[in-house]
Amino acid sequence: MTDVQDKPAVAPTPVEKASGGVAATLFRFQSVFGLLAVFVAAIIFSPRRDGEILFLSADNLANVVRAVSEIGIIAVGMTFVILIGGIDLSVGAVLGLAAVGSAVLMVESDWGFLPSIVVVLAIGLVFGALQGMATAMIGIQSFIVTLAGLQIARGLARIWSDGQGVAIAYGDGPNEAPSTFALLGERTFGGLVPIPVLIFAVVAIAAVVFLRISAFSRHLYAVGGNEKAARLSGVPVIRVKIAVFAICGLLAALAGVVHAVQLNQGSPNDGIGYELDAIAAVVIGGTSLAGGRGSVAGTVAGALLLGVLNNVLALNNIDSNIQLLIKGLVIVAAAALQRLRPAS
Amino acid sequence: MAESALVRMSGIGKRYGGVQACHEVEFTLGAGEVHALLGENGAGKSTLMKILSGDVTDYDGRIEIAGEAVSFNGPTDAQAAGIAMIHQELDLVPALSVADNIFLGRELRTPYRTVDRRRMDREARALLERSGVNLDPRRPVGELRVGEQQLVTIAKAISLDARVLIMDEPTSALTTSEVERLFAVIRELRRSGVGIVYISHRMEEIAQVADRATVLRNGQIVTSFDPRKLSTAEVVEAMVGRPVQTMFSTPDAPTGDELLRVEDLVVKPRRPRPGRRDPDGISLTVRSGEIVGLCGLLGAGRTELLETLYGVAPGGTRSGRIVLQGKEIRPRGPRHALAQGIGLVPEDRRASGLVLFHSILANTVVSSLPAYGRLGVIARRMERAASIRMADRLRLKFGRLQDDVGTLSGGNQQKVVFGKMLLTEPKLLLLDEPTRGVDIGAKAEIYRLLGELAGQGLGVLLASSELPELIGVCDRVVVLRDGRDVASFRTADSGESDLLAAAMGESAVFEEVGGPQ
Repeated sequence: MTDVQDKPAVAPTPVEKASGGVAATLFRFQSVFGLLAVFVAAIIFSPRRDGEILFLSADNLANVVRAVSEIGIIAVGMTFVILIGGIDLSVGAVLGLAAVGSAVLMVESDWGFLPSIVVVLAIGLVFGALQGMATAMIGIQSFIVTLAGLQIARGLARIWSDGQGVAIAYGDGPNEAPSTFALLGERTFGGLVPIPVLIFAVVAIAAVVFLRISAFSRHLYAVGGNEKAARLSGVPVIRVKIAVFAICGLLAALAGVVHAVQLNQGSPNDGIGYELDAIAAVVIGGTSLAGGRGSVAGTVAGALLLGVLNNVLALNNIDSNIQLLIKGLVIVAAAALQRLRPAS
Repeated sequence: MAESALVRMSGIGKRYGGVQACHEVEFTLGAGEVHALLGENGAGKSTLMKILSGDVTDYDGRIEIAGEAVSFNGPTDAQAAGIAMIHQELDLVPALSVADNIFLGRELRTPYRTVDRRRMDREARALLERSGVNLDPRRPVGELRVGEQQLVTIAKAISLDARVLIMDEPTSALTTSEVERLFAVIRELRRSGVGIVYISHRMEEIAQVADRATVLRNGQIVTSFDPRKLSTAEVVEAMVGRPVQTMFSTPDAPTGDELLRVEDLVVKPRRPRPGRRDPDGISLTVRSGEIVGLCGLLGAGRTELLETLYGVAPGGTRSGRIVLQGKEIRPRGPRHALAQGIGLVPEDRRASGLVLFHSILANTVVSSLPAYGRLGVIARRMERAASIRMADRLRLKFGRLQDDVGTLSGGNQQKVVFGKMLLTEPKLLLLDEPTRGVDIGAKAEIYRLLGELAGQGLGVLLASSELPELIGVCDRVVVLRDGRDVASFRTADSGESDLLAAAMGESAVFEEVGGPQ
């Protein structure tokens, strides 16, 4: 075994440097091309005023990404879960719980900004971890576990807020949230980039980098690709699963904080149905529901694609029911395109 | 047989991209003939048979069945023409029962159009008996062991009343006695006029069962011969295209200190599982540098022993001791076992060894990841270097490290599983049927590798149902029967018949094998 040491002085590499990564690069591009196509279509079909393309106005584009940011943050976590072959239906409810938590802690309990945020994020993390334990250690399918989690988180949110939305006013007095919190809803970079978008971007980039360079990500892909083989290979399958659900819960809570600040309230009914939009973004992004292949970059493109689509349909005053219909067709089209992809 | 050929394929050609899988192949099969098809993986056997069974529909050349030209648009057409194929990858539905699987898609009905379960069970039982197995047709297939599943697919194929039966490595998971029974079935089918194409890597079997053998190499027919008249060496030479000195490299390295000692190991499972044979009193030792074989019939408990040593057997109470390098261990799971220096190459590489749609790189390094970086961050250069080094050492045939492992041939896939384990630098390697479904060239390379590893002081525990492999590769063979070790042989002074006799128990020998004892 002497020649199997982990100190390669020089990599004697006859194989050329491929761009690499566990996820195949090919279908990562598919959703990007889809996004481009929808983007171009949006420009063409955008209404114009005085020759100006409304869709391309700075304000409108900022709105598109702002509207996407919450779903986007959730979808990043959802990508992790789907990569291990799981699903998390509780994210919308956890978002609601976190929004309520932020409002109640800062407004009613007069907590400071940081402690409130830390506690709310911790709640999401622990909630996710518990769901991960239930699925990894007891072996209940994640669909069931998180379906139950959805109800539990929603129930907790209702109890915590007495079933009422808690409005957030900013200031230093009692029953006012610290004004630091309001900053999260502002724009930065000369008023161009909304902070929620910045948060989404940081989360997405961190996730992409994490999936590229971490040992954990190799384990994650292996668990999703073939759980039995992963286990026999010495991958800590249970730990990976718990961590992934914890990350997803944490990001859902983060989206809840963003949600509270954007709407200036925390309501136990916030985030209903968000889990489905997040799953749609992941699917359009080319991540396989069977697990083991996909990428966060694709998910980001998928979330943006849905955002652009919503935006341009709304700009054209298309009936919201028709919007739903078109969104549904796009999801089917994206999934169909992946089937057409040549099998590896 | 020129006139009466049941199947006549002429001028068959098929190209996949730049690879000519078949070129001007002439192949005939007579009624009541067993025609063996040999060749390394990638030689074109599978392609040829996929064409015959309707899996591949765009090819050059023509096919005649009983004198009539046919052209199939899919497997259903071929089945209608009486051609059935038993795939190497078992196409069974694990959750359904044995009977349901056999009659899948053509369920028997009662007069009320409901499924006639009783009749299906009865007919399935009869079919299974005909194939020489005693299995409850109501058991879910997923519960069965690989070998039993293989027998179910054979029973299913027989139930189709096919005129032409294509068997792709039907014995790869069978024990010796089951192979004997399968051969009896084949002889019976032959008598009733069924033509059988028999694909196998096992030369002894072909000599026993086949009337004629054809060797393919690089998509072309190299030679056709009477299998009883040609020596194994000549056949292998025809297959690989160059003379092969020795199949088995006999490792002469002196063995070292005791590495593993198992003392009276008994596992009582928490709840009994049908078809499992947990260790029920096994004692054995493996020295470093020693290759110890595990012999036994199907259900003797070979896999279960390896699983117990690796810590992946289902829970239960354990008595007895497992001692690794003088220290008693209680394997808790793969991570724990690997940390102790125990590696496992599992029985079914596709289901348990690899992520087929992940890259060669990802598959080779997954067990040894923390070694290629710091603080959980992977240094790509290091993992690539490790993967390439291992690929070189194993003589892996591949295009790029980024390629999916599923695109490799069976033998090369198995090498990747080996590489993954070797990168963890184990002291003891547990191997479960490491050469199943692997072509003869890759087999020889795996044997060479085992010899080399033993020479470096690694201990190997090798479970196999191939007797020549056990005799040829191992220093010593421990025979298991009903979860106990019943005999141990030095391979230098014993033969296959000794192993077989011990595995079956003395009384069974005369019944099943007849003469040689």
